[in-house]
Amino acid sequence: MSQDERTIQRDRMRFIKNTQSSGLCYLGILFDVFYFVSICKSDVGTYYYTYMIGISIVYNLIFMLAAFLASEGVKNYKKEYSYVLLVLGIIQFIRIMIIPMQAHSAVTLVNNVETQVMQNGQFIRVIIYLVLSGAALITSALINLNKCRELNEHLKTLNEQGA
Amino acid sequence: MATLNLQHIDKIYDNNVQAVYDFNLDVKDGELIVLVGPSGCGKSTTLRMVAGLEDISNGKLLLDGKDITNTPAKDRDMAMVFQSYALYGHMTIYENMAFSLTLRKENPNVIHKKVLAAAEILGLTSQLNKKPAQLSGGQRQRVAMGRSIVRNPKVFLFDEPLSNLDAKLRGATRREILLLHKRLAATMLYVTHDQTEALTLADRIVCMSMGHVQQVGTPLELYDSPANIFVASFIGLPPMNFFDVTVQEGKLAGDGFSVGLTPEEQHILGAYQGKEIVLGVRPEDISLGNDVSGTVSLNENLGMNTLVHGHIGVSDKPAKITAKLKGWSNYKPGDTVSFKFDRKHFFDKTTTNAIRGGK
Repeated sequence: MSQDERTIQRDRMRFIKNTQSSGLCYLGILFDVFYFVSICKSDVGTYYYTYMIGISIVYNLIFMLAAFLASEGVKNYKKEYSYVLLVLGIIQFIRIMIIPMQAHSAVTLVNNVETQVMQNGQFIRVIIYLVLSGAALITSALINLNKCRELNEHLKTLNEQGA
Repeated sequence: MATLNLQHIDKIYDNNVQAVYDFNLDVKDGELIVLVGPSGCGKSTTLRMVAGLEDISNGKLLLDGKDITNTPAKDRDMAMVFQSYALYGHMTIYENMAFSLTLRKENPNVIHKKVLAAAEILGLTSQLNKKPAQLSGGQRQRVAMGRSIVRNPKVFLFDEPLSNLDAKLRGATRREILLLHKRLAATMLYVTHDQTEALTLADRIVCMSMGHVQQVGTPLELYDSPANIFVASFIGLPPMNFFDVTVQEGKLAGDGFSVGLTPEEQHILGAYQGKEIVLGVRPEDISLGNDVSGTVSLNENLGMNTLVHGHIGVSDKPAKITAKLKGWSNYKPGDTVSFKFDRKHFFDKTTTNAIRGGK
């Protein structure tokens, strides 16, 4: 890409929204939803009926709201929302250690037979969802940080030229 | 840019209503043609046929010599600006202007250059991040024009683009369109029912009535030498005064008045001796004098001029007269004023056509 094209591409950012970052945010939310609907499987007795699942539900609501607001922020090249997305993304990776890993290592009695609460197939699936969600959010944040830097540099140059 | 030829074009709807009759016009490269006429005269229908939004019932439409009569609208390389702007409310001005090019999957960098160039021409650079709702009517119409400019079409079509604007904004936007035409040197077809727009914008005017072309000519030709009574009454504000008169030796005799004829006028009316014709006099061609005596019914002061409305004649139905007199006057209803006709137009009473163009 020539320098001229690069400059035009930067200049376009003054008028075009950062749909790349916001799109990745939506993707992050979507995979989180997939994770959440996949995690509660029925034939596991009363394993999930603890305070943990309550907290998980509340966190999920907060996550979706925060991720959506951040998606609007990064769409408009707001740098600070990238940090929100970074935190949310890292938490998605941490969440692997909480319910999925615990459930995977726990057993419960189903019809007097010891059964693994979360079997391998489900475990791998929910981990993939969380990893994809976290990766999408972190990538979105990094793209926005980079674009914000480029846009600010470009605006600075324009201001200098204008002055 | 492009030439446009409309050859014997008719528009007949499915219910057999004919909206346009035998329309012929050759538009030169870079010319601004204004189609003018009252509502329902077929001017917008003609424009829509050119744009490809209406089928052409009969006749041919040529763009740069190529027959595009049956070419779909999207392939005609024409851009249309509507009265209602037709902007997308959820998009920014930049996105609105870039939209058609984005649909064509043009290179985003090229789109960017074109949008910025159009915005610069139209003075919209500082508005590009706003939504249409945040702009005034005039600015929105400029955005609609900008959307056309970025496409770099062969022909620009304007369908009453200023009708939604208030009087002041209309004047300003009209001047912008004129400057835009001079700058782009583009072929443009412009529809309006406002004769001021027609006279100020047009290289040539097409005056229409009831689907028929009444006259094609420069603004001055239409004003100075109207082809018939319709054109004479439509072009000019206030409209031309008309009087039924009989041609007599060296004069015109009307209802309770007579007006002398110059030798040249007598020559023009040579074939009409003893016959009834229609005398047309523009309000601005009337001054104070001794040709005709009238009774004032209304006095309107406009600052530089005064419009004096009244009637002349002695019959039960005296003819109405409007005079545009210089300066400030204070006539009262019932006052008697003597007028002089400085310039006359003559029309055949049967055909309504001008008699040798009128002098």
